[in-house]
Amino acid sequence: MKTYEELPDDAGSNIVGQVNAQATRISKRLASVNYTVAIMSGKGGVGKSVVTANIATALTLSGLAVGVVDADINGPTIAKIMGVRNTTLEYASSGVKPAETPLGTKVISMDLLLSEDDAPVLWNAHTQKDAFTWRSSMEVSALREFIGDTDWGELDYLLLDLPPGSERLSNVFELIPNLGGVVVVTIPSEVSNLIVKKSITMARDMLKVPIIGVIENMSHYECQHCGEHEPLFSSEGSVSASFQLSSLGKIPFDPKLSICSDNGTPFVHEYPNSPAGKELMNVSQKVQDFFKS
Amino acid sequence: MKFLCIDCDTAMKFKDVTRPEQGSVTAVFECPDCFTEIAMFLNPSETQMLKSLDLKLGGNNATAQPMQMIRSQLETSKQDLMSDVSVDMDISETEEGGKCPFTSVISDAFEEKTEPETEGISWTSEALERLERIPSFVRPMAKMGIEGFAKDNGHSEITGEVMDAARGNFPM
Repeated sequence: MKTYEELPDDAGSNIVGQVNAQATRISKRLASVNYTVAIMSGKGGVGKSVVTANIATALTLSGLAVGVVDADINGPTIAKIMGVRNTTLEYASSGVKPAETPLGTKVISMDLLLSEDDAPVLWNAHTQKDAFTWRSSMEVSALREFIGDTDWGELDYLLLDLPPGSERLSNVFELIPNLGGVVVVTIPSEVSNLIVKKSITMARDMLKVPIIGVIENMSHYECQHCGEHEPLFSSEGSVSASFQLSSLGKIPFDPKLSICSDNGTPFVHEYPNSPAGKELMNVSQKVQDFFKS
Repeated sequence: MKFLCIDCDTAMKFKDVTRPEQGSVTAVFECPDCFTEIAMFLNPSETQMLKSLDLKLGGNNATAQPMQMIRSQLETSKQDLMSDVSVDMDISETEEGGKCPFTSVISDAFEEKTEPETEGISWTSEALERLERIPSFVRPMAKMGIEGFAKDNGHSEITGEVMDAARGNFPM
């Protein structure tokens, strides 16, 4: 009796061929993108999306062509922060035309596809019972289509705003094996650093992805009257130092950053000379320097 | 997966697949020598897993559509996503599919039949009014769940009482 290896194919389904074709679509699409950068933390609530939106805007202001993938399928916020929520996506033979900010940053997000503000991401299924067995696959497939089916055109940078979870980078790495690098976002608290360290270990030691550096968000509060710095958190020692990684910047807490995000106006464009604005511009420069070196 | 006709020691070929019923798909394979047929049943979770990966049993020769998985499977999507936007992508890979002559049938096979769950079950006007009050993005799932509950419990008509009985299981 013949064995598995002796049978010529899988009876005509060619599952391997279908999977390879999906990968080919992504690699063909990314052929026109110079650098792909994942913005990750592992920890939620550290400001990844706000930082991503402002790095993207800062890069755009430098004259670069930039796209942003909101990889947070279930909690998409990038479209709101970047002020493109009302965009109606267009479908063309070249793919889906992404939303575009007035400055020219291209954006794709699940938020652009959902019917209502309060609509969660709900996938069609005979039953939602046992959805845990397939929901992650749906999310990875959605991310694959965001990257591969969006008509990005020629891009200098494609930024991916990852959701919390140290395993999320693995999903991206499966889709983009030649990922250019990772930017790690944390806040100076021990609770945050505890989780962020796991993500760094995953990226550096398991996936061998280059880590561009660490951003310490909400690093301190700078008094707008006297300029004195006050810490917001009590952690001693930085993640970048303990892992011997580059520090990309320490972004001070600024209420205007939150207001701009709520209004969908890019903070670095509105307040480029504020301490936080300068620091975000410096971060984007260091990201560029990383790829030039 | 591969299938072998033990009598002929020949690889079986994919022949046909049914549309999902109760979430389950049936795929038929045939021996090219003796024409013996076998049926493979995928349970709802297995069927859903294939859908989630955007893979087609029997191969996929159809030209890729932009974001076809999201547009076809996102229950809570904007209406314009679900319209008949059909644009073959220039970037798509054309050699992804199998060589099965039934491919065109199979490519549609994961579209769930719409009739089986509702067949023989009617809604009272009161029940329909209550259904309309359920948020639109969960209404299809709730409707399907209530109808499934009614069917499982021998109700041919969905009334307010049936909805109350099903309340513990479905969002209403």
